Amino acid sequence: MILRDLFLRIRALVAPHRVERELDEELAFHIERETQKHVTAGLSPVDARTRALARFGPVPLAADRCRDARGTGFVDGLVRDILYAFRTFRRAPLAALTIVATVALGLGLVAVVFTVYSMFFLRVDAVRSPGELFAVELERWAGADADEDGPFTRPDYDAMRRETSVFTDALAMLPMNVTRIGGRPTVATLVTGNFFHVLGVQAALGRPLLPEDDEPGAGRPVIVLSDAGWRKLFRGDRAVIGRRMVVNGAPYEIVGVMPDGFRGLGVTPPDYWAPLALAEQFRDDAAGRADEIAVEVIGRLKPGLSPEAAAAALSVWASGRAEFKTPVGRPIQVSLTPRQGTLSSDGFALVFSPLFFAFGLILTIGCANVANLLLARGVSRQREIGIRLSLGASRRRLIRQLLTESLLLSLVAAACGLVIARLFLEGVLYATITTLPPEMAQFVNLFNLAAPAPDWRMLVFVAAGAVVSTVLFGLAPALQATRLDLVPAMHGDVMRNVHPRRARHALIAVQVGASALLLICAAIFLRGAVAAATKDPGVRTSDTLRVSIDTETWRAAVLKTLRAHPLVAVVAASSRGSTRGVVETSLGEGGAETPSRVPVDQMAVSSEYFNVLGLDLVSGRGFTPTERTAEAGVVIVSESIARRLWTNGSGVAQVVRLEAPPSASPGGPSLPSRTLTVIGIVRDPGSGSSSPGTVGGVYLPTGPESPGTYLYLRVRGNPEQARLALLEEGLKGLDPGFGIMTLRAGAGMQTYMLQLAFWLTVVLGGLALVLTVSGLFSVLSYLVEQQAKEIGVRMALGATTRNVAGLVLSQSIRPVGIGLAAGGGLAAAVAIVLMATPAASEIGDLDVLDPVAYAASALVIATACLIAVSVPTLRAARIDPIATLRND
Amino acid sequence: MTRHAVPDLLPGTLDLLILRTLQTQSLHGWAISERIQQISQDGLQINQGSLYPALHRLEHQGWIDAEWAVSELGRRAKYYRLTASGRRQLAVEASEWDLMSTAIGRVMKLA
Repeated sequence: MILRDLFLRIRALVAPHRVERELDEELAFHIERETQKHVTAGLSPVDARTRALARFGPVPLAADRCRDARGTGFVDGLVRDILYAFRTFRRAPLAALTIVATVALGLGLVAVVFTVYSMFFLRVDAVRSPGELFAVELERWAGADADEDGPFTRPDYDAMRRETSVFTDALAMLPMNVTRIGGRPTVATLVTGNFFHVLGVQAALGRPLLPEDDEPGAGRPVIVLSDAGWRKLFRGDRAVIGRRMVVNGAPYEIVGVMPDGFRGLGVTPPDYWAPLALAEQFRDDAAGRADEIAVEVIGRLKPGLSPEAAAAALSVWASGRAEFKTPVGRPIQVSLTPRQGTLSSDGFALVFSPLFFAFGLILTIGCANVANLLLARGVSRQREIGIRLSLGASRRRLIRQLLTESLLLSLVAAACGLVIARLFLEGVLYATITTLPPEMAQFVNLFNLAAPAPDWRMLVFVAAGAVVSTVLFGLAPALQATRLDLVPAMHGDVMRNVHPRRARHALIAVQVGASALLLICAAIFLRGAVAAATKDPGVRTSDTLRVSIDTETWRAAVLKTLRAHPLVAVVAASSRGSTRGVVETSLGEGGAETPSRVPVDQMAVSSEYFNVLGLDLVSGRGFTPTERTAEAGVVIVSESIARRLWTNGSGVAQVVRLEAPPSASPGGPSLPSRTLTVIGIVRDPGSGSSSPGTVGGVYLPTGPESPGTYLYLRVRGNPEQARLALLEEGLKGLDPGFGIMTLRAGAGMQTYMLQLAFWLTVVLGGLALVLTVSGLFSVLSYLVEQQAKEIGVRMALGATTRNVAGLVLSQSIRPVGIGLAAGGGLAAAVAIVLMATPAASEIGDLDVLDPVAYAASALVIATACLIAVSVPTLRAARIDPIATLRND
Repeated sequence: MTRHAVPDLLPGTLDLLILRTLQTQSLHGWAISERIQQISQDGLQINQGSLYPALHRLEHQGWIDAEWAVSELGRRAKYYRLTASGRRQLAVEASEWDLMSTAIGRVMKLA
């Protein structure tokens, strides 16, 4: 009857006065009844009462023993344990402080990763009943890629609202509309008028958007700011309601500000929301075609309806809708996915596991340090523990006492860890944003990233972390410390030969191994970053800009401006990226008996491209300005292809067939295969520039006027200044959505990412090493102190200084060596596994088995350990045998 | 504390006696001690001060249950009664006691 027991205990805890009163009443009744018995037998009331009391014994004692039986002893014991723990901390404040600081650091770092993870995957948006919200997605045909999912347009959405009844209501939205307000890039989400109503969110100031604001074709120019946008654009000015703001050249009235914490079903909030009816004003490509823009549709499922049933009902509806054109006989699948303001975690979890692992290593190392410290303290507390054991305390009770001490320290550390996590996160955010290349920074700023405020998930996570670390660092020392031989302990003879050596060695090995793992990663990233920074990009980057045009209607105007600009020397163009193809030599030409086939990357480039990017022609000629479509029948191939196809290396004037890639997607545009004449051979643009599986590039002609091409500019002077100048004077007001970047910055991106990874791992690895070294130092110092007598005896018996130093050193060499081997082995194993997975192509030029990185980190760790060990070793060597022996 | 010529209870037997006394009816603390004394014909006199801690312990173990009711004196008293698990516990302890007392009896006679 555990329940009964629990109930009584809880009752005693929550209503102590009542329980006490009942106890008094029960005992008083007994006395009275006994008195009554004696009175009936003929005694006087006074005598009767005296006799009754005498028979009962001391009432307070009985009451006390009843209280013991009550079982609030657990809580009383806990209170006593806590008070005792505080006395212990006061006696050894430095030890307590060290433990708290170490564990707080570890917990704080793990909490950082959890915060980021929670931000993306756990933090549900502050809306009413988020569990009822589902995104509606059409799958045109089974097995289609995500990109090929059919668009859901506003008319489709309106029809769905009218014709189906699985949702209590549904909303549509169009996120990520980049606009400029007062020169600052801002991002808007366009929403239907019922957006805020469906989500059940009230405005913090003013009003939300209403259905009247969003009449199709007659949208009102009103916007509602998010809390982040309000602070960013107006610094939280409460008088903002009713103010006008110019967006993309048109005035809008601010009607409301949404509360902090509401993110509009995104991971981060946009700056503001505007009516979807105004989509044409936000999307230039939508001019006159507002009804064709794909929108996101999110419905609030009717209570009691399962998502599967709703999806089935919607599939039936969608299959019957004439506007969804489908291949004949293919029913349309509609899928419902939960939409609560978080990302779905599959796939991304992979990214987070190494982060959790790396940050968790620091916590592990810290715990190992603390465990070592506690093991050492356990020996020095032997007398105290021995006395308590001999006074009758059970071993279980003492272990509980020791664990309570550890848990208290852990909880304090957890509270500090929360602060550390926040500082670390803000620091990293700040450092990242300030060191980002400006093009990236602008983009990242659009996301309104901010370190999220600690919520209950954080608290639960950190508290759980505290409990886990208590077990990690507290359990083994508690078990060890209470495993005592009572008699000598009572005599106060501290057993100096109790060295939990195996446990200690294992801990040191774990620490060294973890540090090695982190430092090896850091070294690999550093080498990768250096290699990427010094690598010849293969193309001319010193004075080249790349311009991408989002809105094709602006292309002619942009080109005209660029060509007329004094800073622009040459304008070239190329297709965005390359497509796969196969080149085949014609039979019998060039002396070949059979046609040779090679897989290639094909790109379309303008006549000026090779000049601007500094790709020299090896032989033949480039395109002429009149050759600007594939119809010209000419092609330029890269040197590597020429070498492969023609033995003498010269393929100029040869005829080849260029075939479309064999595995073109069924829906994609299929390129006809062409017969082309090779007019020139061009230098390869550096190693690593061709995509895997191809030999090199072939170039077809195009022109800057062709839609969808990037423009490349040769500029005069500093490219970054030219970029700013073009942004400020030339192109302002032309195309709001176009991008311009220096090629140098583009090449710098990879370097930057590697540097980021390097800094992260080097900070973690450094922390790990510092913790390890300090742990090693304190353990060895402690051991030397404990073994002073033994060393003194050895020296008195003739051991040399060298022998003694060897004795001390030998205690650390083995665990350090094992740890180094384990850490290096683990890193290599992970690297080999990684290379075998599809992720290998993402690693790029990173040499994950770089021997220099392994050797360098091993050297750093070995040196650090040697320094840590040398101080206690010297101290041991200087022990004066006479003094030590006399001391005892 | 009063000391009579009455022998002290064997350790551990108080619980058994309480459970046995409550087997047929629910009683308050004083009545339990009276009843044990009566039935043993004053051969057993339990320490009244130990009775209540024992009762409370048994209550926590779920073997007996308590409720307040009006007593023969006309005022509230705490009545204890055996629970189902208490009944099972009584059966176990009673059989153990039988084994033990027969064994001790044999040794005392024959050793």
